[in-house]
Amino acid sequence: MWTGARLRGNEDAVFAVLLIVAVVTVSILVPLFWPLDPLRGTLTATFKPPMTMTEAGLHPLGTDQLGRDLLARLGLGTLISLGIVLASAAISVVLGTILGMVAGYFGGWVDVLIMRLVDIQLAIPFILLILLFVAILGPSIANLVAILGLTGWAVFARVARGQTLAVRELEYVEAARAIGQSDGTIILRHVLPNIVAPLTVLLTLDLPRLIILEASVGFLGLGVQPPWPTLGNLIGEGRSFILIADWLVLYPGLMIGAVVVGCNLLGDWLVRRADMKMS
Amino acid sequence: MKGLRFLLSRALQGLVVMLGVSALVFFALFLTGDPAALMMSPDASQAEIEAFRRAMGFDDPIWLQYLRFLGNLLQGDLGLSLRYQRPATDLLWERLPATALLALSALIWSSAIGMVLGVVSAVRKNSGLDFVIRVIALLGQAVPVFWLALLMILLFSLRLRWLPSSGMGGWQHLVMPSIALGAYYVSAMTRLVRASLIEVLGQNYIRTARAKGLGQWRIVVRHGLRNAMIPVITVQGMYFAALLGGALVTEIVFAWPGIGRLAVEAIQNRDFPVVQAVVLFTAAVFVIANFLVDIAYTWLNPRIRL
Repeated sequence: MWTGARLRGNEDAVFAVLLIVAVVTVSILVPLFWPLDPLRGTLTATFKPPMTMTEAGLHPLGTDQLGRDLLARLGLGTLISLGIVLASAAISVVLGTILGMVAGYFGGWVDVLIMRLVDIQLAIPFILLILLFVAILGPSIANLVAILGLTGWAVFARVARGQTLAVRELEYVEAARAIGQSDGTIILRHVLPNIVAPLTVLLTLDLPRLIILEASVGFLGLGVQPPWPTLGNLIGEGRSFILIADWLVLYPGLMIGAVVVGCNLLGDWLVRRADMKMS
Repeated sequence: MKGLRFLLSRALQGLVVMLGVSALVFFALFLTGDPAALMMSPDASQAEIEAFRRAMGFDDPIWLQYLRFLGNLLQGDLGLSLRYQRPATDLLWERLPATALLALSALIWSSAIGMVLGVVSAVRKNSGLDFVIRVIALLGQAVPVFWLALLMILLFSLRLRWLPSSGMGGWQHLVMPSIALGAYYVSAMTRLVRASLIEVLGQNYIRTARAKGLGQWRIVVRHGLRNAMIPVITVQGMYFAALLGGALVTEIVFAWPGIGRLAVEAIQNRDFPVVQAVVLFTAAVFVIANFLVDIAYTWLNPRIRL
């Protein structure tokens, strides 16, 4: 039960989870159940302001330049954007964790090589390179996921390595080695469980960066192409009509803001809680 | 001496980074297999593509081409813009002052205000003022630069007609781009300074200073802030990258004639020599900025200086 005493001091986290759950719910329920088509509209019903009723039905968030329902597009766009962000985050986490653990566990030249790659990655302003690669390879969802994933693993590798170094010298790892367990088994069974928690916190704090990056690529028109909506390209398309239909820009931006505030608050709360546990 | 060795190793690392970036922008063109077809317009004839391939030397072994690219790079030659038929570096230098003006103005106002807000928030921790500052900082980091920029244009240019919505001219043109670009940075600075200063103010030497009867602001400024700046300085390099990325989007929204807009237009026109020039240049700026951060860090942190 959430009693008052347990809530106190954790209001941030509750608010954050509510925001995230709300955004995720919209992104799943709207594409599944909302009856209006996100890709096809009625040309007689363009630029209808929010809460307008047309022949197609009620448009709670209005319609766009082609008479498409904005709620339907926003729901699908959020789903596509979150899908791209989560898939690329998954690539970053897996790649970073493996490389970080290998670097920390084996040390030596493997460690030096991997950590130099990490340094290079953390030292490059990536948005331009991402735009360049997307322009060359083409703006498909798979390409975006691969490019965002391959350019974001460095922070995870750094933390995974640090944690591995700390765990490596503990008695139970010595013991596992003494009874003849292989390096692979030791890494999977004894090192990995110890680094899951810090990596989860890091992931929460890294998601906002990815969400805004994906939205920026979409806004510039270099990401997923119309008619498919994403949080970024909705704003990019709505930009031309901002004076007559500001809702086209307003709501996608609020959606991005909500999920980023949620992730940042939750991440900060997780960090504070981890600090308290240690001290 | 430890500090000097640290800085030397960092300088070397910067060179490695630049080599890595040069390889990335060079080999990127070969990802689709045929850089000549990539760079020509889709309706170019086969004969035209062949001629272009010979002219660019794309028939040579790839390592030879990379060495030639590096050699030219060291002489500051990045090839001709395919669209303007002028050296890519010339275009870069022409657009650079606009970006420098935008980035520096954003950096100055946002770090000054971020510092003040962070200190006030830390000293008056858990007060109403602290809460308001934290909420503003949280929102500033949450909204994308381009969205904030569009809302400002809608309000101040289109509705109120106070400020011009695009282009470069008098100071009025700089106001909105600078605010949009600095919004993220001011939030980040506020949060960082607050967290770092609260941590420092809880240390024993601060208690000692208080026990000696020093005034509150003197303690904060003389003893607290100097130490609180170490973690703040350390992440400036990372935030600088965010600033460069933000400048790119800001320039597009406000039609600001800087290198970010040059790069995005070049990408849309498949003008790859120009893209390579901008990527390499921003990477170089970034490496140098990080090096300056390292110097400041060494100077502020006596543990390394020894």
